[in-house]
Amino acid sequence: MEDQRIVDLYWQREERAIHETEKKYERYLTKIAYHILADAEDSKESVNDTYLKAWNSMPPHKPAVLSTYLGKIIRQVSIDIYRKRNSMKRRASQYAISLSELEECITDGSTPWQTVELQMLADAISAYLRLSSVEMRNVFLCRYFFMDSIREIAAYYGVSESKIKSMLYRMRCGLKEHLEKEGFAI
Amino acid sequence: MKPEKISDAIGLIDEELITSAQTVRTRRKKRRRLVRGLAAAAVSLCLITAGVLSGIKGPEDKGVEYVYAIAEAEYPTMTPYPDEMAFVDEKTGEIDYDAYQEQFENWWESRRARMEPIAGEDGLDGFWTATMRQFLSDANGENRVYSPLNIYMALSMLAELTDGNSRGQILELLGADSIEKLRTQASAIWNASYCRDGAVTSVLANSLWLNEGVDFERSVMDMLAENYYASSYQGKMGSSDFNKMLQSWLNDQTGDLLKEQAEGIGFDTDTILALASTVYFQARWYDEFLPQNTKEGTFHAEGGDMVCEFMHQTNIQSYYWGEKFSAMAKGLEDAGDMWLILPDEGVTIDDLLLDDELSEMMLAGGEWKNNSFTQINLSMPKFDAASDLDIIKGLENLGITDIFDAEISDFSSMTKETDEIYVSEAEHAARVVVDEEGCTAAAFTVMEASGSGMPEDEVDFVLDRPFLFAITNDAGFPLFIGIVNQPV
Repeated sequence: MEDQRIVDLYWQREERAIHETEKKYERYLTKIAYHILADAEDSKESVNDTYLKAWNSMPPHKPAVLSTYLGKIIRQVSIDIYRKRNSMKRRASQYAISLSELEECITDGSTPWQTVELQMLADAISAYLRLSSVEMRNVFLCRYFFMDSIREIAAYYGVSESKIKSMLYRMRCGLKEHLEKEGFAI
Repeated sequence: MKPEKISDAIGLIDEELITSAQTVRTRRKKRRRLVRGLAAAAVSLCLITAGVLSGIKGPEDKGVEYVYAIAEAEYPTMTPYPDEMAFVDEKTGEIDYDAYQEQFENWWESRRARMEPIAGEDGLDGFWTATMRQFLSDANGENRVYSPLNIYMALSMLAELTDGNSRGQILELLGADSIEKLRTQASAIWNASYCRDGAVTSVLANSLWLNEGVDFERSVMDMLAENYYASSYQGKMGSSDFNKMLQSWLNDQTGDLLKEQAEGIGFDTDTILALASTVYFQARWYDEFLPQNTKEGTFHAEGGDMVCEFMHQTNIQSYYWGEKFSAMAKGLEDAGDMWLILPDEGVTIDDLLLDDELSEMMLAGGEWKNNSFTQINLSMPKFDAASDLDIIKGLENLGITDIFDAEISDFSSMTKETDEIYVSEAEHAARVVVDEEGCTAAAFTVMEASGSGMPEDEVDFVLDRPFLFAITNDAGFPLFIGIVNQPV
């Protein structure tokens, strides 16, 4: 089913929307989640949370490219699970558990200013990526948005892994310079 | 600044940039895959012979042998799958993503339109199950492959050429209560299965080979061309030119996969009509096997152990099971799935074929009740399975008897010119070749699991003893079903 139709199903509040999303994107989403979490159970949880978030966010959202929209959600959901898992490992005390319980009473903890600052940082990164060549930009995003392994990216382009590593190194250095120039404290 | 913050910000960058990178991730893979992951072909050939030759005119002596087409099928045109290279600006390397997306959407729309629900589809379930049991049982340690789709098409055309009880028996097996319904259904199945759009190769072809000394009902040939995309050729039966033309047609339609089988095929002088139906299918794995992971291993065949090459891959996906088997579906890119079904230890393939749960699972596809989303460590032998079946006995067991008996068969829809016409031969050859090829320089999308990432309930799915497979297309139709008793 084409994306537009799936999005329409979300807007019509038809549960089939989730089924169709699952049919079309489960594999794609699982791959992103697994790259971040390296755990099948957690990846499954992340994929399911993504369906729920998609359901709760459409409407009001009407994404132009559903795969990108879902990709963004699962990336964030998986990172959240990753952080939660690691922080729980670090703080397995009753205090830590009580804190995590209390987290349910508050929002995600970020102040409006932090949110704006993060978006400004994102805009600066977008601007830097636009200045880079298409190939460099895509290699960067494969690695740092989709978390693809160096080996996978080398395979996409049919080049050696060392070439990809060197491209990424150049991109990271360039990004550092760009962000400093834009006034971000690195 | 903490790296987490940069990572969070990357999650918020412009969607357009993400979409562009995403396209590269999938499109690059496609372009770099080389040959194939899987290729399969089948041919059904029915020779229809006249028991009494008196009604047939002798061939005219024209000095040279000739062949001519009397009805030619016009294949549907398809929106081509977009070639991404056509959207790249050579100077800047920029991709015109909007234009690409537009053509992609057009392609998808045209593909979807061909997969409209098929009326009376439920009636087919019995046909798939009955033929699977009939044509795969008693393989006696040999490989066995058949194409339900191909046999369906050949029988549908035979139904069009016959009348009375001969036709009735065929309709019953195909689950249609009238020839009109069968025609509609066959046409829908043909359209749902035929695909030659640059992304998927699933080619069905039908043809009729007519004895030049017999007058056939022209309207029937035209109808077959229109509804079954069957071309009709007329020539001198038994002549080497006509035989060569048939063989060459078969090889063209099956990508030379059945060349060995086609070599022995030819007409007898008393053949009045031959009906040939083919399926050729080629697809790439959605997730290819890495050649460096292919290792030698032991396959426990019925006749003794054999060494063959096993491809290995780990994926997180659905795993299915029944009382007597376990199963998984390995995805084919834009083209359906290959189902791999492993009988439990101590269960033979013949036992499994009679198991109702097996057919229920195959008909349910991914919706089967017993499934779990888990990590599967797949070990699968590379195989090349082919078989050549005389299907007359099998069809008789399935209730189609009259067309094989010159005394009672009714081919009056095809010609009124001669009596005692019957099907003297019905051959079905099929071959499926599976390997990891095409991924030498291709994407590696195996999800490697290690250490703490491994779920406790992972499954080792090791196809090291005889197993069943089924290749289904996007619409869920079984194109090929087979048994691998000997991978090499």
